[in-house]
Amino acid sequence: MSAYTKPVPTLDDGNRPFWDACREGRLDLQRCASCGHLRYPVSHACPECLSYDSEWTTVSGKGKVFSYIVFHQVYNQAFAEDVPYNVALIQLDDGPRMFSNVTGVANDAVKVGDRVEVVFDAVTDEIAIPRFKLAG
Amino acid sequence: MTLSNRMAIVGVGATEQGKLPGSTSHTLAVEAFKRALADSGLQKSDIDGLLTMPGTTAPEGSLNYLRLGEALGLDPSYTGSMTMGGGTAGALVQMACMAIDAGLATNVACVFGDAARTGGSRFNRASGWGDSWGIWGMYGAAANSAVAASRHMALYGTTSRQLGEVAVACRRHASMNPNAVMREPITLDDHQASRWVVEPFHLLDCCLISDGGVCIIVSSAERAKDMKQPLVTIAGMGQAYTTRTLGREDWWYVPHQKEALARAFKMAGMGPQDIDVAQLYDNFTMSVLLWLEHAGFCKVGEAGSFVEGGRIQLGGDLPVNTAGGNLSESYMEGWLHIVEGVRQMRHACGPRQVEGAEVCLVTGRGMTLNCSNGMILRRAA
Repeated sequence: MSAYTKPVPTLDDGNRPFWDACREGRLDLQRCASCGHLRYPVSHACPECLSYDSEWTTVSGKGKVFSYIVFHQVYNQAFAEDVPYNVALIQLDDGPRMFSNVTGVANDAVKVGDRVEVVFDAVTDEIAIPRFKLAG
Repeated sequence: MTLSNRMAIVGVGATEQGKLPGSTSHTLAVEAFKRALADSGLQKSDIDGLLTMPGTTAPEGSLNYLRLGEALGLDPSYTGSMTMGGGTAGALVQMACMAIDAGLATNVACVFGDAARTGGSRFNRASGWGDSWGIWGMYGAAANSAVAASRHMALYGTTSRQLGEVAVACRRHASMNPNAVMREPITLDDHQASRWVVEPFHLLDCCLISDGGVCIIVSSAERAKDMKQPLVTIAGMGQAYTTRTLGREDWWYVPHQKEALARAFKMAGMGPQDIDVAQLYDNFTMSVLLWLEHAGFCKVGEAGSFVEGGRIQLGGDLPVNTAGGNLSESYMEGWLHIVEGVRQMRHACGPRQVEGAEVCLVTGRGMTLNCSNGMILRRAA
């Protein structure tokens, strides 16, 4: 594949387990070992109880479109050839929300409330970005 | 003791607005200060408090108070800079009130200048601590409010044309404001025909990017009685924040705005029925709809139909953004909303004056939907 020129995460000790799991085809989130709160984005302390102890937990990757927008304006030149492209706020069945993209369909084929499931887009040898497809 | 009506805005000043080549955040802030000082009738030596917001083009950032203070030749007893985007102006005016009440200062100048237009500021930052939302192409200020609009549309049936009502109202008001940047009236069809920026936002759902400076001088109501301008007091003020974004399911709805306004209404002993005119922070059209719901002018989900038929235009039930707002007057990140609120209370707005207006609601909101505040300005009897 040609070199991927769009932003990729900077891996560090904190987020590496998340992205390692993505590369291996799993969506893993942190569950607080103290209060049980399942959280995203990655953080070193639980935002509910401030415990530092957490366990990486594989979630279903299923959810629904909570909000949905389509970019026409180019804010970062790396996306200049992608417009119009969508960004979806995904409500995971397991609780947390994340920004992502809905892939595999035209932008106007997606609406708020649609069921989706995660897919992994391997953009480099190291990074597979979690995106979502409409659930069948 | 409550601060209600014990503090006053005694001077306001704004520079020319728009595209001002040769200006910098710094020159615009200085000019705004001079104009506010002249408006107040105070001498420079009377100003012992300096609170500033660094413009996006101010290289010194949070040290803006030092840069500006030196330029103005001030040795204040109280100073500092704050960065909350469009939530800053209101937060600084409220901070000035608290400083005066605490005896730390007497007359506080709140100052902002930015050459965002000529300086090329694009407000295109990707949010998200840790893994940036830019990984998924989620960039810029418009997108956050577009998320709110998309959700509001899905839940309540709000339409793009209803958003357009806000744009049309602001533009009509700007057409009556000689200092406004965009004065050519627009129609709902113009709004619909303008290009997409981030769906569901058209270009005419989005605020301007502007050069300009604004200064607001705060003093005690007691001192203000003997000053040059008609007395305009702050009847109520409030702030509320959420620092969480993805972590809060209702983040898109900025529910903390309702708390900020409830605090302001409580301090003032007033409710939405007491408001004659409102200056509602409008980085995007959607933001005005949310404020209308949060202030209780209409029920949750009903702001779209509320704004139809010119209700928020001059002559309507609730004139909103009577100078044109961020959408059409100039994008001073909410600073001009306070200025217009004060001028409405002074009955100094000429053809766009809301006749007999005595109470004005002014709101501010900033960053990734995180920061919000409200103030209720009152014309003294």
